[in-house]
Amino acid sequence: MLLALIVLAIFAGLYMAWSIGSNDVANSMSTAVGAKAINLRQALIIASILNFLGAILVGKHVTDTIKNKIIDSSVISNPDAILLGFLAALLSAALFVTLSTWKELPVSTTHAIVGGVAGFGLIEGGMHAIKWKTIEMVTLSWILSPIAGMVIAFLVFKLIAKFVFSSEDPHRNAEIFGPFFVGLTIFIIILSIFMKTRVGAYVEGGIIEYIAFSFIAGIIASIPSYFLIKKIKGKGYEIVEKIFKRLQIVTSCYVAFSHGANDVANAAAPVMVVIALAWHRVSDFYLLALGGLGIAIGIITWGHKVIRTVGSRITSLTNTRGFSIDFGAATVVLTASKLGMPISTSHTVVGAVIGVGLARGLEAIDLSVVKKIVYSWIFTLPATMVTSILIYMGLQIIF
Amino acid sequence: MVRVPIGSIYRKKSPIEGLLEHMKKVRECVLLLKEGVMKYFDEDFSSFHEITNKVSEIEHEADLIKGNIRAHLPSSILMPVDKKYFLWLLREEDAILDHAENLAQLLDLRHTKIPEELKNKFKEHMDLVSQTVEEMEKAIIKFKELLDMGFPSRIRDELKQLIHNVHRKEWEADRVRYEIMRDIYKMEDKLSPMDEYHLLKISDWVDDIADHAENVADWLRAMVAK
Repeated sequence: MLLALIVLAIFAGLYMAWSIGSNDVANSMSTAVGAKAINLRQALIIASILNFLGAILVGKHVTDTIKNKIIDSSVISNPDAILLGFLAALLSAALFVTLSTWKELPVSTTHAIVGGVAGFGLIEGGMHAIKWKTIEMVTLSWILSPIAGMVIAFLVFKLIAKFVFSSEDPHRNAEIFGPFFVGLTIFIIILSIFMKTRVGAYVEGGIIEYIAFSFIAGIIASIPSYFLIKKIKGKGYEIVEKIFKRLQIVTSCYVAFSHGANDVANAAAPVMVVIALAWHRVSDFYLLALGGLGIAIGIITWGHKVIRTVGSRITSLTNTRGFSIDFGAATVVLTASKLGMPISTSHTVVGAVIGVGLARGLEAIDLSVVKKIVYSWIFTLPATMVTSILIYMGLQIIF
Repeated sequence: MVRVPIGSIYRKKSPIEGLLEHMKKVRECVLLLKEGVMKYFDEDFSSFHEITNKVSEIEHEADLIKGNIRAHLPSSILMPVDKKYFLWLLREEDAILDHAENLAQLLDLRHTKIPEELKNKFKEHMDLVSQTVEEMEKAIIKFKELLDMGFPSRIRDELKQLIHNVHRKEWEADRVRYEIMRDIYKMEDKLSPMDEYHLLKISDWVDDIADHAENVADWLRAMVAK
């Protein structure tokens, strides 16, 4: 019987991971593909590798939040209830995400899983079973993440406009700007890998050493990029976009990595709980790897359809804009991942696009999508809660 | 089937691209008309009917482009410039074509001979009007560059200079038109009333084209105001 539960959880988890990979890959790659920085094939390869790396290296924090910080296990002490509860949450999220994909609603997998977990917690343990502090923090992060994405993307684009386009010599300044941002990106990523993670645990040292090490890594990365950028030939406005075309490869990797770090938890966290309770504790690392693999498979098997559909709409996006959007979104998603905040990558990306739009960088953006996102937000939580409760009751009858 | 909302925030085609497409039609039309009118002033009416038809055709094509831009700008669209100004600009740009069409049809309905002593002035006037439209086109293209580069003040100054050029050309055209009208009234004893009416009307309608080009420049100026 327990084996059946484990198998069910793994399949549901893999399905969730697959769905996250296949759909959300558009967030990291469609700007780059739409702005023609990379082709579809390269996008799929980059996205699957970087999502996997993000999942295994930095996926732990958000996973911990979903596993331990939504439900108070001192109130719901029965392990069987928790086991069935997380399975119900996973199944309800998977069901809801499938439904919303079919209906093309901008529903976040993150919101679905958080709603699912909170749903069964409420029915099993009542109001006290929910750690409201976490829920408050998570809800706040859902509001703040698109806004933060908007602000950063706005500033990055303004910086490009001021420092590069407005300067006497845009070409020269782009050659300085480029390596700086490559270095900065590498610095942030390396730092995120070391701070409070499995990798960090192997390395002797504290925060100062990590920062110093990441800083050196950033500088090392920026030197070859300086020479690579110097090779790009052209003139005027075009050369600047050409340089950013290369830089966008780095930022789309950054988004893919951050996405893996944040969203793997939506699939992996419930599976971890189920396996730990039904069998015995398996190292988180293997399950994160499994989740990362599921995401990668989703990207490879189905991602091309989604990227093509989305990318075909993004035909007039230039590389400086794509760069700003990617950098803004990825920085927010990765920071949230480190803080253990399960946020929606999709919504953050939309925030970043609006940021560039407000910086007068885009010729036309349709803000009606914001309304749709807000509606889906309000709708997702109660809906996944109710489905999770129903499935939980069903599972209790069966098992 | 796509769940992620990123695709639906973008527009498949930007209204600015549409504006440039519309601009191309305006230039094509005004250049064609100018060529025809120059021959017409030299009393070569042979191909003018065809040109009139062609002008109407271009006007219609441009109308479709204009309609398409307007239809895809619901209130939820955020643009880097004031949308109201943008729509006014489009309207004025389209008015150039309406007037070009009117002029062509007027000329086609009655083949009016331009008095020998006025021919050069009429030609100069038409040429200046066409130059006004060409300067306007340069300003529109510069406007696109300004958007592409995120509004650097260097490009903004260049655009302001181009807008100024449009005004200057329009002013020059106005001056020639004044001379034409003055000369027509001077000659009124020699001219039949119908000829006089038509000569005045032609100079009037040629001039309208430059006036609307100037309006386009004015809306451009309003859009890039700080």
